[in-house]
Amino acid sequence: MNIRLITSFGFSVLRLSTPLIFAALSAAVCQKAGLFNMAAESMMLWGALIGVIVSGATHSALIGFLAAVLAGAVTGVLIWVATVKGKADLMLAQIAINLASSGGTIFLLFALTGEKSNSAVAIKSLALPKIAIPGLKSVPVIGPILSGHNILTYGAIVAAILLSIFIRRTKTGLHIRAVGENPHAAESVGISVPRIYLLAWTLSGILGGIGGAFMSMGYLTSFTKDMVAGRGYIGLSASSMVGGSPIGAMFCALIFGVADAVSNQLQLTNAPADLVLMLPYIVTIVVLVVISVINYNRANRKAKA
Amino acid sequence: MNNAKKIETWFDLVRILVAVLVAYAIALVILALISDDPLYVIQQFIVGPFSSFRRFGNILSTMIPIIFTGICMCFVYAINKFNLVGEGAVNLGGCLSACVAIALSNKVPAWLLLIIVLVVGCLAGMAASLIPALADQIFHADVCVVSLMMNYILLYLTNYILKYRIKDPGSSITASYKWAPALKFRNIIPKTSVHAGLIVALICVVLAAVLFYKMSFGFKMRIVGLNPVFAKYIGIPVVSTIILAQVIGGAFAGLGGTVQVLGMFSSYQWTALTGYGFDGLMIAVLARKNPALVPLSAFLIAYIRTGADIVSRTTDIPPEFVSIIQGIIIVLVAAEMFLSGFKRRLIFNSAKKALAEKEGKA
Repeated sequence: MNIRLITSFGFSVLRLSTPLIFAALSAAVCQKAGLFNMAAESMMLWGALIGVIVSGATHSALIGFLAAVLAGAVTGVLIWVATVKGKADLMLAQIAINLASSGGTIFLLFALTGEKSNSAVAIKSLALPKIAIPGLKSVPVIGPILSGHNILTYGAIVAAILLSIFIRRTKTGLHIRAVGENPHAAESVGISVPRIYLLAWTLSGILGGIGGAFMSMGYLTSFTKDMVAGRGYIGLSASSMVGGSPIGAMFCALIFGVADAVSNQLQLTNAPADLVLMLPYIVTIVVLVVISVINYNRANRKAKA
Repeated sequence: MNNAKKIETWFDLVRILVAVLVAYAIALVILALISDDPLYVIQQFIVGPFSSFRRFGNILSTMIPIIFTGICMCFVYAINKFNLVGEGAVNLGGCLSACVAIALSNKVPAWLLLIIVLVVGCLAGMAASLIPALADQIFHADVCVVSLMMNYILLYLTNYILKYRIKDPGSSITASYKWAPALKFRNIIPKTSVHAGLIVALICVVLAAVLFYKMSFGFKMRIVGLNPVFAKYIGIPVVSTIILAQVIGGAFAGLGGTVQVLGMFSSYQWTALTGYGFDGLMIAVLARKNPALVPLSAFLIAYIRTGADIVSRTTDIPPEFVSIIQGIIIVLVAAEMFLSGFKRRLIFNSAKKALAEKEGKA
């Protein structure tokens, strides 16, 4: 097989995985706090749109990026307000937010620019820089795969590592896990559960917002209608497969990225790409079932012992 | 006691109405802000759907698919399982029915084929819904995640079938071969797009309501939803009830796909998820899980959507702003705290009055 083909494939895997990793991390924070995050979809959509709008208005990719992060965080906090302050059902609130966001982003784009599906013509937005790693660049095979990515692709890996350290090694991380294991027990030792939920939703929103910024300021360079296209749900399943471990979620997201890249390649040939696109979802269900059975049996044995 | 209960029932209704009004008010403010001619837009949005016979027909035909998914979600919601596979079940029902309709067109009499096709739709929906239900009840995997994954699997599966098995190479768009015209649902109201599927939908509403409130299964199902532990102790087979409720729900969603495909198209053309599944959840929430109220809440949603369609056609405002209204309605209806102080005061006052009367008599 052609070396160039391999390297371009490897490169596209990392590129396609980046938003999935952020979505998976966004779901993982919530899962560790015992929350079910279906709304990464909305966080990413708002991040993608606001990033484009603000970077176009300020002519600064950095300010655009920060605004995208803020937009994601606000989405997360909104869910917290609805579910903790308003005592709305978690699932219903998130489905509502997802509905409102898919229409709301299109509507805001229209209200500002008059465009209905794509921001490319109306907004001269900026992209985040690509980074060539000096030493690595010239290494054969690995170099072209790993070097020259968008800064957020490297950011995704760093974020996974930082999040893992945060959850495993810090006091706040311990509190998040305690609330996730048993909110009543955590409350009885003086941990404020609502405050931990607020933290989890904010962090989750920030990660989702960054994922969204990558979509519109890296992966593409404009906002298009419904551009997140289910990536939030893929992140959710990547996180559920590994019980919310950030590093594990990152690797699961990479597997989804591989499937994405394979199907992209197959679409160029005549093979049925739709069947390939099905594979990662089937794998998710199978892995989820196996892991759930193992966890259930383990819990049962513990209860008997 | 009784008084408090009465207040709660009434209060539920009032709360939904207030939620709808609040959402409407927000939408009107937004429309007014971004439009050059706000009065015209608002008038189109509110009165537009009733301004002509054809437009009123559009409300009715918009209702048809979401009545089916609404019933589906009533079953799923009644047992407190968030099986969101309705979305995929609609596509699968439509696609497999189309396959059968194409294969058997002109080979069997039209009335028999129609029955076969409707049954296929039901079965497809049942199969789609069964997988998350089993994964949840037998293997203890999260039903919501599994059903979300199922939706994508079903979407790609139906896309594969459409593109590689039943695609009409002569068609300029991605569409299947056409089925026998006799199979297409006839219009039941002239000069509108309302087709016989509406009758099927209303029959399904009656069936579902009977199943819910007049049969022992419905009673068991509601007990399981309210308190699974209690249900187990009084001898209700909890696991099979939970699975069965989801499968029945899936059947309605699958049937909805079939009806929509046969009513609106003459060939299968869906290449994306329809959104009817999530609409169904919203309708079930508005209907308070009561299938008998599904047509009413479907009418409300269809009215809002038709209004938005008219606005987007007569001005250039995109119809997607409806989904903002829908989101606000769901959140407000779902939020226990919304107007809860008001409810407490009502119950408190009525109790105080009852107490005063008692003391007055004594």
